[in-house]
Formats: sequence, structure tokens, C-alpha cells
Amino acid sequence: MNIHNYEKLWLIAAMLLIIGFIVTITYGSVGLGIAMIDDSEETIDPNALEDHERFGDLGVHQTGDGEYDVNIRAYQFNFEPGSSALGVHDPIVVPENSEVTLYVTSPDVIHSFSVVGTNANTMVVPGEISVMTVEFNEAREYGILCNEYCGSGHHGMEGVIEVVPEDEFHLFSVAGVDAPESAQAGDEVEITATVDNDALDADSAAVSLEIGEETFENELEVDAESSASTTFTVDTGALDLEDAVDIDWTVTVEDGSEATLEDGSASGSIALETDDDENDDTTDDDNDESDGGDQ
Amino acid sequence: MSAYIDQFPEEAKVIRSAFYASFFALALGAAFGLIQTLHRTDFVRIIPAEMYYTVLTAHGVLMVVTFTIFFLVAIFTWAVTTSLDRGVEDIRFTWSWYGLMTLGTAFAAIAILAGFTDRTEISADVLFTFYAPLQAHPMFYVGLVLFVIGTWLAGADWFRSWWAWKQENPDKRIPLPTFMVLTTMIMWYLATLGVATSIIAFLLPWSLGLIDTVNPTLTRTLFWFWGHPVVYFWLMPAYMMWYIMLPKFSGGRLFSDPLARVVFVLFLLLSTPVGIHHQYLDPGIAEGFKFIAMTNTMFLLLPSLLTAFTVVASMEHGARQRGGEGYFGWLGALPWRDPVFTGMALAGLMFAAGGFSGMINAGMNINYLVHNSLWVPGHFHLTVGTAVALTFMAVSYYFIPQVTGRRLASKQIALVQVVMWFVGMTFMSNAMHRGGLLGMPRRTAEPEYAGFQFETAIGTVGELNAQIALGGVLLTLSTLLFIVNMSITALNDRDDDLPSNTIPEPLSGPNEAPLVLDNLKLWTAIAVVLVIFAYSLPLASIVERGGLFGPGGDAFPMFLELADSFGFALVGETLSAMVSSLLETLRTVV
Ligand code: HEM
Ligand SMILES: [Cu+2]
Ligand SMILES: [Cu+2]
Repeated sequence: MNIHNYEKLWLIAAMLLIIGFIVTITYGSVGLGIAMIDDSEETIDPNALEDHERFGDLGVHQTGDGEYDVNIRAYQFNFEPGSSALGVHDPIVVPENSEVTLYVTSPDVIHSFSVVGTNANTMVVPGEISVMTVEFNEAREYGILCNEYCGSGHHGMEGVIEVVPEDEFHLFSVAGVDAPESAQAGDEVEITATVDNDALDADSAAVSLEIGEETFENELEVDAESSASTTFTVDTGALDLEDAVDIDWTVTVEDGSEATLEDGSASGSIALETDDDENDDTTDDDNDESDGGDQ
Repeated sequence: MSAYIDQFPEEAKVIRSAFYASFFALALGAAFGLIQTLHRTDFVRIIPAEMYYTVLTAHGVLMVVTFTIFFLVAIFTWAVTTSLDRGVEDIRFTWSWYGLMTLGTAFAAIAILAGFTDRTEISADVLFTFYAPLQAHPMFYVGLVLFVIGTWLAGADWFRSWWAWKQENPDKRIPLPTFMVLTTMIMWYLATLGVATSIIAFLLPWSLGLIDTVNPTLTRTLFWFWGHPVVYFWLMPAYMMWYIMLPKFSGGRLFSDPLARVVFVLFLLLSTPVGIHHQYLDPGIAEGFKFIAMTNTMFLLLPSLLTAFTVVASMEHGARQRGGEGYFGWLGALPWRDPVFTGMALAGLMFAAGGFSGMINAGMNINYLVHNSLWVPGHFHLTVGTAVALTFMAVSYYFIPQVTGRRLASKQIALVQVVMWFVGMTFMSNAMHRGGLLGMPRRTAEPEYAGFQFETAIGTVGELNAQIALGGVLLTLSTLLFIVNMSITALNDRDDDLPSNTIPEPLSGPNEAPLVLDNLKLWTAIAVVLVIFAYSLPLASIVERGGLFGPGGDAFPMFLELADSFGFALVGETLSAMVSSLLETLRTVV
């Protein structure tokens, strides 16, 4: 076959270009150790995410020094956690200078989990778990969006990642609150809040109690991966109650991130008794987030 | 020497009909394109956001399935009959595949357009990729199957012509245009196995309720098994035009016949084992498989780079024949006033830009930045949306007079049209690429978010949107000029001195091409082996992970009792519902 000289030159140049591409990309992915989305995770039953050890426990979890796992459910048409702009779920909150591994799966159709303007971008396929490890070195916010068409509400599927300064990041949650169900007007009541610290370091929590129109705050030192309690003593006589029959209270811990909004606070109410119904003793009730928590 | 219609009057009718079907799809597709551009940039929103996806499905299917493929079966029929200098073996067979393709299109289109009305349960808002568990009405899948079978029969028609010709010309080389058609069709047969399996074995039975679930990764992978080579199914007819017609219109001859054959063989071999490059971001597929797909993809650049050389060399030859001189001075001697030439040359130029952004897509790690962003439609509006579409429109100015015998209505308007497309696409595609880098998603009705904003380094999001909208409007106007020009041409007077239907001989002819190049069996065998290498392990591992029918889960949206509601009776009902809803929409708009 007769190949023109220029054609030969061109052919050689083209081959060099191609090989050059392959070499740079191989170096980029293997040499520099940039991980791709792959098949390293086990498959999952999309109809039973709640039973899965990871996706039964959504949200941020610390796994090591500066290392966190975030378990996220991408479904039509939200990220849980993540979709906070419209108040549906908590945002994803992680500390600065952390290495975060995101685990994402879907119970319905194919979505994407894409951190806007970055290469942290993956498809989310029902039955599969997508894993990405990302370093967050700067305190700022990132948008998340779904860029794989997933149905009529696809354009509304968004979320945020808040990267906060390290000293503002905590993994506290309110594990339970002991408060009386009723009290004599004018008496002192004791409200004891138990706070969990899921972080791998001890941390001091600012626990606040809102009761009536007043707010009280206690500092509480909580060891790594354990819980501690603090008691607020409140003089109901000093509260400006007007003619209320119930006093509402809410205990909040300055939370870093937990899967759901409910974990960061608990609330309940105390029935006020006047002198004429003195028959009942005040009984203590274990208000934890599941039975006392409606906010 | 005479025009095509005088040589092959019967074939000319089929070709004409295929061109008209293709133009019809183009016109409708452009109207939807305009709605999309104006909607997503928030200039004009005449539809509710959910309906955007019905529009987008229609735009995608009409443009890249109907417009392109009807056009290419027309020019392939022209190429085979012209280069073998014999009519088709049985014109009824030719009409039958044309009929099947039309019927398939009608089915799919009705299923999609029914999404505009609530008066029927039918819809197919699944985009042209129809990823499960998103589900379309069975009519959509049936339509696609009929369409593909139509193209298979078309290929059979051309093979039949070639076999018959070979009996009479046992010692001749396959003429280059026929060679191009046959290699392209072998690639197509191989590639469509993927999508046919996906639809016939899984999606259609699933939509009919015969099976409960499918494996989303499996059907998606089978889609891309076809989804990449289909790109070359669009592109190869355009390449064919660049190889055999562009030299003619620049006043010269093709540089080298053997190299053209090499290029088409390379496409046959390499087009299919690369589809996984669309799945770099998919969980459940090992990195190694993605890597193999990427390496193959890089080698697939080779035939395109070779084509770039040949095209430029042939144009230069043509220009020098016309008296052009100097290092770059010859460019001025090209027939820039001819819309056929200018359209093709501009299409080629845009393809160079598209090839560049394609190389970026192909890189595994950079892909993570741009995947599914607006960058991607930016890219393929340069490739299929211009390299292919503009070449097709440009050569129509030559072909329509050839197959109708009518005079082209206006050469000036034609010239304005091709330039306007180029300018419009420059705006739209450039801004789409830039938007993609900011993270703007594709396939999104209203990419405005409550929780964050896109950060621009230069310019503003508003300016990008304005460019996209401006580009989209110019493109739509250009399409309108094209359609009007073609319609008037089709009704114009007879042109008695049409140029004769000839293809100039290449400078270095087929006899310099090694015989082995014409051994289609050998190339087919190698292509099959490469596909087996690239796909058997990934497919096995996908099935092993997720099962043949997937891990369970529901279909979206859910259809009830589909099996009985599917049938011909519904077609009439759907049509009437569509018409009434169209009227309603018109009334609210006006
Ligand atoms: C009038 C000219 C055109 C205009 C205004 C136009 C506009 C658009 C826009 C704005 C999108 C992006 C929508 C989104 O992702 O949200 C789009 C998508 C698309 N266009 Fe075009 N386009 C035109 C012509 C073409 C042509 C000629 C082709 C191919 C031959 C084409 C093929 C496609 C395809 C395949 C998609 C992607 C559909 C999907 O994502 O499912 N377009 N078009
Ligand atoms: Cu989505
Ligand atoms: Cu591809």
C-alpha cells in the first residue's frame, strides 16, 4: 500500500498523541492514586435500606482522627442528609481538614450525587453503593445536586455540604431527658439531659434548655463515644408564665451533625398543678427523643 | 451522464421519502430544542417544569434516532446504487424496511407525545437513554424495536445488492462507497445486539408486567454497548460525505482510497468495545473494565485523526486544481459561495473542536468533573449536532435536486443557513461547555437551586444563559430556513441541467489497497472477538452482582394493568387526546 510521506508522519504523530494520553491518564489514576467509583462495595437490597448496617444509620460518623463516613440516601427527589435548603433534612456537616468518605445509595431510580464544581461526582444506582473519599481543607459550603434525570422532580434535587471550622464541629445528640410530667406552680423542678458524643475525642457540649420564655445553658464535658448528663434546676415561680397550664421545654445541644434534625434536640412539657389537686405525686418520665420529641 | 432520478427513478422515490421523514423529525426536534433552550435559561417558560422532560425525550429521540438514521439510510441507498451502478434487487423489499422504520418511529413518537396530556396513562418520559427503573409505556419499546429491525433489513438490502453485483464482477474491488456502507452496517449489526437484548429480553417484558424487575446496571450497560457505536453510525455517513463528496465539491479528488478503507475498518473494529466509557461513574463496575474501555477509546481517535488529514489534503488538492497557491493561500481558492461545500467545511471545523472536548470526556479522571454536566450536550451538539447534522443539511442541497429532479429554491438562503448554524452553535455550545465546568447539570428543567449558586470565574451565569438562548434561537431560525428552502425545492420546477450523479475517482485508487482490506469476514470476526474481550467479563460480573433481573424495586412511574391497555385501539385514542391537548396548549399560548 502506498502511503504518502506526510500521511506517515501524521500517522506517527497521531499514535504518539494517543499513547501520550493513555500514559498521562494511567499515571493520573494509578500513579497519583485517584480512586474511581468501582465495584469494591457489596450490593444492597434497595427495598430494605433501613435494615442495612450503614443505611439504617444515616448521617456523619467519625471513623478515625479527622476521618469521617457519611451515609446518604438519594431518593426521588432529595438527599438524606443533605437537602436542607427547603428544610426537608439536615445538611451534611463535616469539619475542615477532614477526610470524608461518602457512601450513597438509592431506594428507587438512578440518581447522581455531585458536589457542584468539583470532580466529586458519582452515579447512584439502586442495589449498588457508591463510595467516594473527599478531602475538605477549607471551611465553606458546597452545593450538591443530582445530575442524572430521575423523574419529574429531578430539577429540585439538591443539597449542601457545610464544612465548618474544627472547633465548631461536634457529633453530639440528645440521648434523653428526665423531666417531671407535672409540678406544683412555684416549685423548683429538675430537668436532666443526657448527651451522646459520637466523636472519637472528648468534647464539651453547650446544652441549652428553653423553658417558658427563659433559656438556660450548661457546659457539659462528654468523653469520646459515651454520654454524660447535666441537670438544670428551674424555679417555676420565677418563670413568667402568665396563666399557662403547661410549661413547654426544649433541650438542645449545639450539634455538629446527625442524621436527622430530631437528634439535636428533645422537647416536652410539664403540667402545672395548683393547690387544689395535690393528690398526685410528680412522677419522673424518661423523655427521650422518640416519645418526648415533637418540635 | 445524468442525474440520480433519471438513473434510478424507483430508488429515488424511496430515498426522497426517507429524506422527508428525516426533515420532518428535524423540524419537530428543532421546535422542541427551542423550547428547551428558552426554558432552562429562564427566558421563556411556556410549559410546566415536569413537561420539560417530555420535550427533552422527544428532542433526543427525534434528532438522534429519527433525523440522523432516516437521513443515513437515504444516502446509503444512494451510495450503494450509485457506486455499484445497479438498482436495488427488489424495490418492494426496500419499501418494506422504510415502512417498518416509519411505523417504529410513529409508535415511539406517540408514546412520547402522549406524555403531554393527562387524558391517557401513556407516557415515555424516560429520555432517549431510557434507564431503568424509569419505565416507559410498552409502545415506546415496541417502536424502537420495529425501527431497529427496519434498519437491519435496510442493511440486508445493501448486502444483497453487493452479493448480486459480486456474482457479475467477481474480480473487482468493492467500490469505496459500498465498502463504507457495508463496514458501517456490520458495526451496526454488532452494536444493536446490545440494545435489542436490553429491550426484548428485559425492558419490554418488564413494561408489559411479564417480569417484575430488571437489573438497572445490566440494562444500562447494554444500552451503552449500543450507545457509543451509534455515535459512529451517525458519524460514518458524514465521514462518507467528507471522503467522497467534499473532494468533489472542492474541485478535486479524494487523496487516498486505501486509507479511507483502513479508517472504516478501524471504526468497525473499535466502535463497540468502548461503551463503558459512558459509565466511568457507575458503581458496581470494576475500575479495570473502565480502564480497558478508556484505552480502546483513545485508539478510536486514530481513524478520526486520519480522516482530518485526508479531508484537509483533499480540499487542498481541490483548491490547487482551481488555481489556489501558497502555504495557506489555497484556502481562498475554495468554493466558499457554494453552500454544500461551505456547510461541510464548517461542519468539519466544528468537529475538530468537538473532537477536542471529546478527548477530555474520554479521560477517566477528568470525566469526573464534566460527567452529566452541560459540558456534555455542549460536546455532542458539536459532533452529532453539527459535524453530522450540518453535513447532512449541506449535502441535502445537492441530493434533494438529484432525487427530485427539481431546482434548488435558493442557493443564497442555503449559504446563509449553513453559516447561521455555525454561528448559532458557536454561541450555544461554547456557553454549554463553560456552564458545564461550573457544574451546571444537563437534562435539568430549571437549574436554579435554593441552597447554592454556581460560581463563575469569568462572566456570569446570566451571560452564559443569554448565549445559550441566543445560540438556540439562531439554530432554530437556521433550521426553519432549511426546511422552507427544501419544501420549496420539492415543489419547484424541473431542473433540466442538473449535474450528473458521479463520484470522482480517488488520486490513489483501490488497486493500491491490499486485498485483505476487502475481507469483510475477517474484520467481522476480529470485531466480534474484541467485543467479547471487552464485554464478557463486565457483563458476567454485573449479572453476578445484581442478578439477571436485578435486586428488586419498583418501576417508576408505575403503570397499572398495562398489559390490557396496550394495543392498537389506544393509538386512535391517544392521537385524539394529543390533538385536543395541542389545541388547548395553543389556546393558552395565543
Ligand atoms: C435547533 C437546534 C437545536 C437546539 C436549539 C438544541 C437545544 C438543545 C438543548 C438546550 C439541549 C439540552 C437540554 C438539557 O440537557 O437540559 C439539547 C439536548 C440534546 N440535543 Fe439538541 N438542540 C438542537 C439541535 C440538535 C441536533 C441537530 C441534534 C442531533 C442531531 C441534537 C441532539 C440533542 C441530544 C441527543 C440532546 C440530549 C438529550 C438528552 O439529554 O436526553 N440537538 N438540545
Ligand atoms: Cu435527578
Ligand atoms: Cu461514547
